[in-house]
Parts: sequence; C-alpha cells; structure tokens
Amino acid sequence: MQTQTLSTYFLFSPERRTANMAASGGRTVRYFLWKCGNCCSNFNTVSSNLTRQVLSRQLCVSAVLHRKNLAAAGPEKFSEEFIKKQVEEFNIGKRHLANMMGEDPETFTQGDINRSIAYLFPSGLFDKKAKPLMKHPDEVFPKQRAVQWGADGRPFHFLFYTGKQSYYSLMHDTFTKALAVENHQDRLRGKDLFTQDAKQISLVGSRWLLKEELEELLVETISEHDYARFIQLMERLLSLPYCSVEEDFVQRYRRQLEIQSSKQQVQPLQYDQHGVAYSTGDGRRKTATGTVLLRDSGSGSISINGTNYVHYFPVLQDREQLMFPLHFMGVLGRFDMQCSVSGGGHSSQAGALRLAISRAMLSFLSEEQVETMRQAGLLTPDPRIKERKKPGQEGARRKFTWKKR
Amino acid sequence: MASTRELTQGLRTTLSKMAASVTGLLKPWTPRVLLVRWSRYNPYYLEPEPRKEVYHIPETELTPEQKEERELKSVRPIKAATNSVTSSVFNDPVLSKFVNMMMKDGDKIIAKGIITQTLENMKRKQVEKYHKAPEGKKAEIECNPYAIFHQALENCKPVIGLASIQKGGKFYQVPIPLTDNRRRFLAMKWMITECRDNKHRRTLMYEKLSQELLAAFSKEGNVVKRKHELHKMAESNRAYAHYRWW
Repeated sequence: MQTQTLSTYFLFSPERRTANMAASGGRTVRYFLWKCGNCCSNFNTVSSNLTRQVLSRQLCVSAVLHRKNLAAAGPEKFSEEFIKKQVEEFNIGKRHLANMMGEDPETFTQGDINRSIAYLFPSGLFDKKAKPLMKHPDEVFPKQRAVQWGADGRPFHFLFYTGKQSYYSLMHDTFTKALAVENHQDRLRGKDLFTQDAKQISLVGSRWLLKEELEELLVETISEHDYARFIQLMERLLSLPYCSVEEDFVQRYRRQLEIQSSKQQVQPLQYDQHGVAYSTGDGRRKTATGTVLLRDSGSGSISINGTNYVHYFPVLQDREQLMFPLHFMGVLGRFDMQCSVSGGGHSSQAGALRLAISRAMLSFLSEEQVETMRQAGLLTPDPRIKERKKPGQEGARRKFTWKKR
Repeated sequence: MASTRELTQGLRTTLSKMAASVTGLLKPWTPRVLLVRWSRYNPYYLEPEPRKEVYHIPETELTPEQKEERELKSVRPIKAATNSVTSSVFNDPVLSKFVNMMMKDGDKIIAKGIITQTLENMKRKQVEKYHKAPEGKKAEIECNPYAIFHQALENCKPVIGLASIQKGGKFYQVPIPLTDNRRRFLAMKWMITECRDNKHRRTLMYEKLSQELLAAFSKEGNVVKRKHELHKMAESNRAYAHYRWW
C-alpha cells in the first residue's frame, strides 16, 4: 500500500487527473479538488508564503498518511487493562514462537516474528491486511484518549467545550511563546542590547509537520483551515528576530528531510586480472536501454555495439551527451568504454548511455563529487515518455477537427 | 497581439473557476488557478545546474543566499538534464532556444546545421572586413560570431509591448510591460519569420540569417525596424495605458 502511494506521489500521473476532469460525477470532481486542496498544504521552502504555494505536491511520505485517525473518532473502545493484558499475551506468545522456531527468545526481533508467521501460516491472499499478523498491541490498537472528565462530570481541560482542546491549547501555547519572545526583545531594547542579526534557527533541511502527523500528535482531528492557521502562527513566531529563544519548541514541530545524496547506490570498484579497475552501469531513456563497461586504462576509446562512437553517433549533440559526465568531472581521456545499447532513437540511446556512464563513474568518485553530479542532473533517470493517445482525440493533445454541425 | 495565450489561459482558468463555483465545489481553500499544463516531474524537483564553474567556488566565497541554495539542493531531488544541455563551454542556452525555434517537424539536425553555417558565414564576413579595414578601425570590428549573435538579439528585443484589451465593446491596443522571456521570444520570432518570408527564392537560409544578424548588430535591417514600429505604436497608444489592470 505504501509503495503504491509512493509511486502515485513520486510521478505526477495525469491519467487519473484527466479521468477525473472528464467524469461528470460530482464525487470524482470533489476527489480531484480534495487532492488539489491537499496539495495546498506546504512543506519546507526557503521563503514560505502560504498564499503563494499553489499545487505543491508532497514527496515526503510517512505511514501516518495511510492510517485513519481512529483515536479521535469516538470514546474509548479498549480499556487500559485490556491493552495491558494484550501486551503480556504478546510477549509470552513471542517467547513461545521463538522456542518453536528454535531461536533465542531474548533476541527475537519483529522481523523474525514476521518471517516465522509467514512460514507457519503461508497465505495465498493478496491483500496484506488479510494475511495473519503478529504485532505489538500498540501498533494494532489505535492510540486512544482517556476519558476527559472526572466522576462529577466536569471536564479536566479548560478548553474541553471548544471541541478541539489539544489544538486550541497548542495555539495558545504558541502565541504565549511569541509574546515571551517579544517581551525578551523589549527587555533587550531597554538595556540597549538589541541587534538585528541575532542567531537564527536553521530551517533548511527540515519541513513542517504534515497535517496527518499533527493529528497523530494531538490525538484529534483538525481541518485544513486549522492546520493552515497553525503553520501561519509558527511562521509568525519565526519572523521575530530573537525566535532562537524558543528553538526547542519550534523543532518539536519540524521533521528532518533526508539528504538526497545518501540515496545513491554506489557499486564497489572491481578489478580484472591485469589489475585494471573497472565498473559497469546501465541506464534507460524512453524505450532505449544501454549498458556500459568503464575501464580505468587511460586511452579514452569508446566503442558502441562493436563500432566506434563517431560512426555510431554521427550527430554532434549525441556525442556531446556521451562526453557530458566525463567533461563535467574532468576525466575526458581517462576511461575506456565498451557500450551496448538497443531500442529507441539516436537521442534516447545517447541519453540512456549518458545515464549508464554517470552511474558507472560513481564507483570512481568521492561523495562530494557524487553530490555535484547529482546536482548537475546526471544521475536522475529522465521520466519523460511518449504521452498516450486519448479516446475522442486524434493524438495525445490534438483534437479532431471541430465541425459546427 | 501579445500575450493572447496568457489571456486564453486566464479565460480557461476563470471559466473553470466559474464552473466550479456554480456547482458549489469552489471552497475558500481550493486554488483559484487550475493548471492545465503539467510536467512529468513532481513540482518538488529542482532545476539542474550543469555548469562546472559553479561547483568550484570555495566555501568562503559564497554569499549567504548561495549557501542557503546549496543546502536546499542537498535535500531536494533534482530533475535530469535535458538532451541539449552539456557542461561544455560551447553550450549556450540562448542559442539552443534559437535552434529549437528554428526547428521544423522535430528536425533538429537540419536546424543546428543552419545555425552552424550561419555562424561560420558571419565569421568569414567579419574576418574579410577585418583584413580590409585600416589599422585604426581594426579593433572595433567584432569577429566572434557568438558575441555578434547575442548583441544582434539584444538590439532586436522590444522594451514595451501591446495587448488587445476589450473595453466598452471595442478592442484597444494597450501598451504593457514585457517579461524578459517574452522579449527574447519576440526578438527570435521576428528574426526567423523575417528570414523565412522576405528572402529571394534562391538565397539559402543561413545566408539570409547571417545578413540579418549582421544588420541587427549594427542596428539596421528589417527586424530592428519592426521593433521601432512597435515602440512607436506603443507611444502613440499611450493614452490607453490606464486600461491595464495588472
């Protein structure tokens, strides 16, 4: 389920959208507009201005997005003693399972449990949620709220009757912090110690909590409008020069973004019988696939499908594409290349080989060089493909001749 | 005349907005502009930077904005570089745009060939002029065809444009400011249409293009004349400038 949503968020698929636009049913159009509205929620940008962020799609995916916030739905469904009993049963069951499988009960991890269950109860069902599972009760039973009022019927929290007590108390706390920062600033101004260039909180590399993550934190449902107001208030807090006083509070509502370069898979260098270092890489572009064998021999000769590259690519642009990664790193004459490519046209074959060469070169480069290659756009596979033809139109975009009658 | 595409796009978005509000689906938080043009990339992706020099600047010489940009780039995915872009010194984005605009039916090889021949032709003419010129005038003659191309294009760029705005049932040509992209596009478009239409049947495209570019470099020729006419029209329609609302 998670991988499926990843792919739908990763590539902005138009087919679903056009289908929604074409459908006359209100439900599908509402779904499309909900998706647009969802897109309005912001993630980290250097200059954050909520009104300017139109259709910014989220790439950050967390499991939170797929779980419904059952906790906020209604009153307690499972009592505390019940949950405790479930936890004890789970722990005992885990030890029994370990004994059954012949493993050490002390070091039996969740991965081992999953594998044992899959072995003992093989299931031919496709739906992951229908297969037998054994997980800690905290992951199975949703987080709940305890009863919010005492024996006399009076609620504990002073904001209970607003309906969204955690949200409003959070907003009150944030505003109190902002006032505290302003007081601090006034005191400094009084002592003539106020400077404009105080230490700022570093926001790069982190993003605001998503609406779903905030709901999980507060254990209650909030609307899009509420979430937007919360982010607005936090941004207002951050606009004050001395906001670093409340850095811990702010960081609690931010999540770190992972460094993209760590996602690159670098193969280790291999050596052949003469001690020459070599590496392979493959790449794809449209329908062309190419593989490259890069050898560190120092001659700079390139052969593609057995022929010289000058004969195979008579167009200058294609040869420039082959040289692009080598020229970028400044290793033009160093490597020997044996390439094989098939499918597509000359341009897409050149693009496929460029990607293959860049990937093969990674084994020879340091981490900063890998990062510069990534920022130059050499390591991303080009997702552009031929757009499909739609029914009722002559091509992908071209419509049939419009006839008045 | 100018930005009719922008107007039709605006019309499309206003129509969709009206439709949505009529059916009751337009809420305060739904975006007002529903984009029809889309890309295969998620908007989260950033543009690549293929030039080598940018990455060789040491840490100490970076401005705070550049440092922030670098940190942002390290956490965001980057788009793939297109086919026409390389890190070589001969890669010129303006020239690539011109080649694409010249291209017919996707035949980039022919378009690129014409441009190469044009540049060679310009160089030959300028070198001939250089050798024939007296000693004092030699330094003023520009021989670099790329420099001539850029300067010629700069000389053809209009400063102000006209838009057709409807007011009280009549359409008025209102002077409007143009964005940089639009100005560059108009200059290139005029150059290409001029070379395609107003040439003798027997002259080749590269010959005519080199003539026009050299003329534009010295601020003569039909393209520069067209730019001046547009400026004159804008000046004469100055009275309607207040019809512009953006």
